[in-house]
Formats: sequence, C-alpha cells, structure tokens
Amino acid sequence: MDKSTIVCRCEEINIDEIESAINLGAHTFNDIKRLTRCGMGPCQAKCCMNLVRQIISDKTGHPLSEIKPPRMRMPLSVTRMGALAGTRASSVASVFGESAEEGETVHEEKL
Amino acid sequence: MKKSYDVIVVGSGVVGSSIAYHLSEDKSKEILTIDKDFPLSGTSGSTQAWVWVHNKTPAWYGELNMYSAELYPFLERKIGDVEYKRTGGIAPFFSEADREKALKLAEKQAEVGIKVEVLSRDEVLEKEPALSRNIAGATYSKIDGNVNPFRLIELFVRAARKNGAQFLFYNPVTNITKENGMFKVTTQDGDYFSNQLVMAGGPWSKSLGKLLGIDVPIKQVRGQVIVTEPLSPFLSHTIGGMRQADNGEVLVGYSKEEVGYDRRSTLDIIQDTARMAIDFVPALEKVNVVRCFSGIRAMPEDGFPILGEIPGIENAYIAAMHSGITLSPLVGTVMTELLSDGETSIDLERFSLKRFDTIQSIG
Ligand SMILES: Cc1cc2nc3c(=O)[nH]c(=O)nc-3n(C[C@H](O)[C@H](O)[C@H](O)COP(=O)(O)OP(=O)(O)OC[C@H]3O[C@@H](n4cnc5c(N)ncnc54)[C@H](O)[C@@H]3O)c2cc1C
Repeated sequence: MDKSTIVCRCEEINIDEIESAINLGAHTFNDIKRLTRCGMGPCQAKCCMNLVRQIISDKTGHPLSEIKPPRMRMPLSVTRMGALAGTRASSVASVFGESAEEGETVHEEKL
Repeated sequence: MKKSYDVIVVGSGVVGSSIAYHLSEDKSKEILTIDKDFPLSGTSGSTQAWVWVHNKTPAWYGELNMYSAELYPFLERKIGDVEYKRTGGIAPFFSEADREKALKLAEKQAEVGIKVEVLSRDEVLEKEPALSRNIAGATYSKIDGNVNPFRLIELFVRAARKNGAQFLFYNPVTNITKENGMFKVTTQDGDYFSNQLVMAGGPWSKSLGKLLGIDVPIKQVRGQVIVTEPLSPFLSHTIGGMRQADNGEVLVGYSKEEVGYDRRSTLDIIQDTARMAIDFVPALEKVNVVRCFSGIRAMPEDGFPILGEIPGIENAYIAAMHSGITLSPLVGTVMTELLSDGETSIDLERFSLKRFDTIQSIG
C-alpha cells in the first residue's frame, strides 16, 4: 500500500493523512478521528477500524491489542431523523428562551 | 527535553492552546503546554462551535463575546484557514408574546454596540426559507457565525509550535508545588518547572484547582448533539440550535444535563433533539442521522468566565469558561497581556476567581 491508499472511504482519508495526525502527536483512534474525520462518516468506522489501528500500531510501536477502537456512538447505523424524533414536544432549551430570561445567569441554564 | 520554562500551560483545549499560541507570538518566552490526553479530547472536540454573540446577556457579557468574534478574521490571517464564517445568527421564537422580550434584548445590546434586529416571520423566512412556518419571529445579528473547532485547535497548536512553544500530550499533571519561587509541575513522565503557571483544564478545572489548594466553582454540564449526513447547502445562517458545516452536515442540539463527567449519548435527549430539529426545520424529518456526540461543558457557577490571576498564589493564572470557542481569540490575547505586562486592555476584575466566596485555602 502506498501513502495515497484510502483507508476511510466515507471521508476519503488516505494513509498519509493518518500518519501526519500521528506525527502531530495523536496516538489514539479517537484523537486521529477528530483531526482527520476518519471514521466520522456514514459507516461509523466499520470499514477503517482495523486499518487505522494497524497504522497506529506500526507507527507507534504499541502492540495492536492495546490500540482501542474508536468510541461507538448512537445510532450505530444511519437512521432517519423522523424515526428518532420523539412524539412529545421537545424539552431541549431554546437559545432565544435563555436570552429572554431576566437576571445575571441567563445564559447558564437550569435542567 | 528541557525541564525549565517561563510558562507552563496545563490543558491544551481551545483555551489553553490559544493562550500558548498568543504567548508564543513575540517569541520572548519559553512555553510548555501539557495535556493528559490530546488537544481535542476534551470539550473543545465535542462542541457546536458557534461564534455566538447576539443574545449573550447581560450586555457586558455580550460585549466581551463581540470583541472576541471581531478578532476572528485577524486570527485566521495569522494561523490559517479555520473555516470561520460570519454567517449571521438567527434565534427563532415561536410565540408572538416573545416579541416584546426580543425588542428589549435588542435595546439592551444596542447600548454596548451589538446590533440586534427583531424579525417578523416573513423576514426570517426570507433569510432562511427552510425554517418552519410555525415560528413567530427571531432575533438576528450579523456578528454571529461559526468555526471548525478541529481546524482551529490544530492550527493554534501548529502555529504555537512554529513559534517555538513545546507541547506534551498523554501526560497527566498529578501534582503542583512551589519551590524557590518556581512552580514544580509533576507529571507522569517527570517534573517540569516554570515561573508562571496557567490552568486551562476546562471541565477538569475543579480537580486541577485542588492541586493548588483552591476551589474552582465550576459545574459539569453535558450537551448532546446530532449530526446528519452531508446535505446540499440549505442553511446559510447559524441558527440558535443548529448549523450546517462546510461539508454539508447539520449539527443539531442544545441540551443541558448535570450528570457529571459522563459522555454517553442517551436516547431520551436524542429523541428530544430530533424533535427540536424537525420543529425548527421540517425538511429535516427525511434526512439521515449519521451519529451523535456529547460533550461536557465547563460551566462556572454564575455562568461567566473565570479568568486572570489566582488570588493568593503569585504567578498562577486560571482560564476556565463556557463559550470558549467564541472567546478563545480574546482570552489568548488578554492572558498574554496579563502574563507579559501585568496589565490588560480589558479590565478583568469582574472575571476574577475572587468574586466567589468559596476560595478555601491558598497554596
Ligand atoms: C455540546 C456543547 C456545545 C457547545 N457549543 C459551543 C458553541 O457553540 N460556542 C462556544 O463558544 N462554546 C461552545 N461550547 C463550549 C466550548 O466548547 C468550551 O467552552 C470550550 O471547548 C472549553 O475549552 P477548554 O480549553 O477550556 O476545555 P477542554 O477542551 O476540555 O480542554 C481542557 C484540557 O485540559 C486537559 N487536562 C485536564 N486536566 C488535566 C491534567 N490533570 N493534566 C493535564 N491535562 C489536563 C484535558 O485533557 C483537556 O484537553 C459547547 C460545549 C458543549 C459541550
């Protein structure tokens, strides 16, 4: 594989980009993910998981078994917004609602 | 590696990295930044990253945010493209009764020079046609925008390094003492010494403060965010509640829960947030959600930044706040003034840790 080989198909991230994140000092999948977006796309790291772990292991000399996978996040596979939405009215605070309150601590919130 | 520095910054989130970068600009100080993990592993890597001004109240706090937003274009010229966009900000309201409050907000903010317009429903829909026809109106200001937090922090670190500043990652600070007038910062891989010390620990500020024997009155407040698949550009403003990033993803969310340092996503809040997304922009009902994330806000007890000297400990400083993305250019600038000259262009008295009567023992 050369440096231009794609490891993350969703975000089109190649080996070179993973390696430069490691050169910047990132040694965990989560940290590389935030620097490069590798693993943030629709497949949620299902394709690139082990490729990236292998590159981390090769570059840092840590055994593969010690390289943790990235954090898995809801909803695990692509899901329609409408299917996720609750039927109750949202209780998420509104930005306007906060500014409109009186007092010194309005931008900070209850809940 | 060198053991002795002019300044040690603990924490390499957006706040610590900005301080390190701004301090490094004139290359007169030797600077070391230490992080227990990596620069984006804390709050700064899980944020909406609005550069948001217009409805921060009271007005003096809005003013502080405005000064920082105004620094962004200059910052970008210095450190590179951080995808800062001054999109204008829209905070919708759903009831006609809120118009009165909106007008009052506009009046207050005008006193400090923040221009806020109160829009009718039609005016909002003209600016942002995707918004729901159920809204009653919105407050609007040109000054608001957003930035790519990943790019921002990476470029802070790169630019600081270029100026000679050093960084140590994956290296927790476990103890801090003072020896012969210098700070001795004990870390996993040894001791480092400095004349000045800056604590920029975000949501860990309380436990960092304990190392110095001070209580930092900060709460941890979780926020959960939904990220959609990339969509063709359809939102051109930063909406109070959501924004569309350069790559087309829409980030939605504005939840607040005090559950300690727990970064799980939970179905109840995600369902609520999805509902809010559809209430704001009905067309979002049919789009795909790719992932969710959650971050832990560092929320000072009274909501305002804790910034400046640590009372009673000479040469120790703290910078801990919510809205660190918005405030980082200004915070880096004024902290550099404080550490270099002892004077700041903006009076920091109001942001002092002194305002809380909870300070216990002193180092
Ligand atoms: C969901 C959400 C949405 C938000 N939206 C916005 C927004 O739209 N606009 C905005 O301006 N702000 C927003 N914020 C707030 C903003 O993200 C934070 O104010 C900012 O990221 C704080 O940066 P920080 O550098 O203080 O903290 P962090 O990024 O958490 O950095 C602190 C660093 O200190 C390190 N550290 C801690 N303890 C130690 C130790 N003992 N030794 C060594 N290192 C240590 C940590 O590893 C960490 O890297 C949001 C926050 C959340 C959670």
